[in-house]
Amino acid sequence: MRAIFAIARKDLRLLLRDKGDVFFTFVFPVVIAILFGFVFGGGSNSGSKLELAVVRESESVLALGIEEDLANDAAFETTAFPTRDAAADAVRAGKVTAAVILPKSLDSGLEGLFSGQGIAIDAVVDPSRRAEAGLIQGKLNELAFRQFPKLFANPTEMSRAFSAARSSIASARGMSPTQKLLGAGMITAAESFTSSIGDEDASANASGGGGGANNAAGNTADFTPIRVKVEELAPRAGRPRASFDVTFPQGIVWGLAGCFGAFASSLVTERARGTLDRLRLAPITAFHLISGKAIACLVAGLLVQTLVFAVAIIFFGSSVAQPAMLVIAAFAASFAFAGLAMALAAFCRTEAEANGAGRGAILILALIGGGTIPLFFMPPFLRTLSYGSPFRWAVAAIEGPFWRDTSVGEQIVPLIVLFAIGFLGWIIGARALWRPFAR
Amino acid sequence: MLALRDIRRRFGSTIAVDGLSLEVRTGEVFGLLGPNGAGKSTTIAIATGLLAPDAGSVDLLGLGSPSNPKVRMHLGLAPQEITLYAELTARENLRFFADLYGVSNARVRVDELLALVELDARANDRVATFSGGMKRRLNLAAALVHDPKLVLLDEPTAGVDPQSRNRILELVRRLAGEGKTVLYTTHYMEEAAKICDRVGIVDHGRMLDVGTVAELVARHGGQSAVTIERDGAEERIFTADPVAEVARQFARANSDRERGEVGREVTGLRIERPDLETVFLSLTGRSLRE
Repeated sequence: MRAIFAIARKDLRLLLRDKGDVFFTFVFPVVIAILFGFVFGGGSNSGSKLELAVVRESESVLALGIEEDLANDAAFETTAFPTRDAAADAVRAGKVTAAVILPKSLDSGLEGLFSGQGIAIDAVVDPSRRAEAGLIQGKLNELAFRQFPKLFANPTEMSRAFSAARSSIASARGMSPTQKLLGAGMITAAESFTSSIGDEDASANASGGGGGANNAAGNTADFTPIRVKVEELAPRAGRPRASFDVTFPQGIVWGLAGCFGAFASSLVTERARGTLDRLRLAPITAFHLISGKAIACLVAGLLVQTLVFAVAIIFFGSSVAQPAMLVIAAFAASFAFAGLAMALAAFCRTEAEANGAGRGAILILALIGGGTIPLFFMPPFLRTLSYGSPFRWAVAAIEGPFWRDTSVGEQIVPLIVLFAIGFLGWIIGARALWRPFAR
Repeated sequence: MLALRDIRRRFGSTIAVDGLSLEVRTGEVFGLLGPNGAGKSTTIAIATGLLAPDAGSVDLLGLGSPSNPKVRMHLGLAPQEITLYAELTARENLRFFADLYGVSNARVRVDELLALVELDARANDRVATFSGGMKRRLNLAAALVHDPKLVLLDEPTAGVDPQSRNRILELVRRLAGEGKTVLYTTHYMEEAAKICDRVGIVDHGRMLDVGTVAELVARHGGQSAVTIERDGAEERIFTADPVAEVARQFARANSDRERGEVGREVTGLRIERPDLETVFLSLTGRSLRE
């Protein structure tokens, strides 16, 4: 065991003392994960604008007005979504910062306001974007108030509101006939006043109505005519909460690739520089040598995964759906890439081959395996091709317990494939190393 | 200690070792002398068990082939290449090899070796920062970490400056003084003559002859040459007893002077004794340095 640990310790030391290997194993994957996280939507604001999904369930003047004002507001970049679920998915995927739902209840227009219920608007935000939630809530209040002058100047809306008010008074049980008469008289007076407002005045009121509305809001401290209900989106199993959930597993496989490249190169270097001969002369067997290198590669693989997950969880609010399964997946992925390192070392005779062709092969496998562009963005033929890449299986194995919350049955296939890749790689690599011992 | 019998090894169409036999006795420094490409390193690789011979046998300490790890444990190799980890320190390198061999009290052993090769002051520096001579010495120390009975040094002075070379040769003598058996390959005849108890002359994968330097010279070196310069002309005389020949030449010069014969004074005199170079020339028909 002493020899095995000596080999493992030595290989880890060599890895950590090579600046290039440290960069590609530990720094590059984190950079890739963050960079692609932003590229694919997480945390991006396309400049200073907040991206909003807008779902308009109401055809009312009020809903149309809010939608139009949101679209024209310099603070927002809006995209219309057909349903609440679609908008919520976009928030979960990090494609938009929040979703604004203009509900069917807005059809009642000013009726709701006069009936004391107020006007309800719903907003859905990503929990990791709480800072923006307050801004969105304030803006929605402002925009809704801005609609009031338009509504008051709109004869149809007002006529509908007055009719509804008359009906309410007529059907009210607690009012005496005198009170009902007075109420109806007031409504008639108000109706004749509003109908006397010309279109130009109405337009003028509409354009300068923000202040009036604000004043109105200020004078009705206990009455909340606009109610913006902000809901934080709960992460849903099987869907990434943000693009970082997708890109951090990608970052991990890049880290494993860096690790795999470094160890493949180190094995070739041992052979090319003759240190392998010293190892072979020592009273150890190929089992000791391979086990030592396996432990080093596994430890490095687990280290890089721990680092990347820690960054994802601490700085990007990711959470792990199945921690125990994630540990198994991390081990399987490390094992597979350690095996690949052994196999690559068997095929490369020189350091130049390992660093050139070897790393080139890693890059190609990573590209087709979804290491850079997520598989769901790829055309079908590339997705099919990706089954031949160990990166695909590593991403699948890690994503499953990380955010997909897949069942054990679904998880078992990528795990088996990874262990198979690992064993195959180890057998190929071990045979190449074993040969000189078989005298 | 080490016996190679009728070893043959070929790489493709190239015959690297062609029926080579040798026996290294316990406690001696045995030199394998031959030009580059003579088959010395292949012989060493076969002797250590790193390479399997196509034919022939290797026996170490009467225990059998060094392909057996228990037998291999008794030998230490300093290969021609610097087989160290450049990004590890001198101490880390030696400690690693000590751990591989399961050396007990490894820390003490590593310190001893660092002192032996005079690298204790640079023990914690990375090997990448060492000079060629320092790397060579550490390469040698790595071969000694498990205190082997037989040490194989494959061209241990290749590419080092004269000062480092002398240090390495002193080190080899010291090892011999401590009772180690050393198999030393070189293409420098001066080194072989200086430190080896016996020398084997190798060329084209064959052992041409084995013996002490004196025995080889006596067998193949021929006579010494006495070169006398007179009046700008040189006269070369081959003789088995050069000292007597010189005395005779001086006596003749004195006699000429007494007789008043001028222009026959000896102006220069040089004795060329046969050496391993002469031996190699005699055995192969070409110079060791070709």
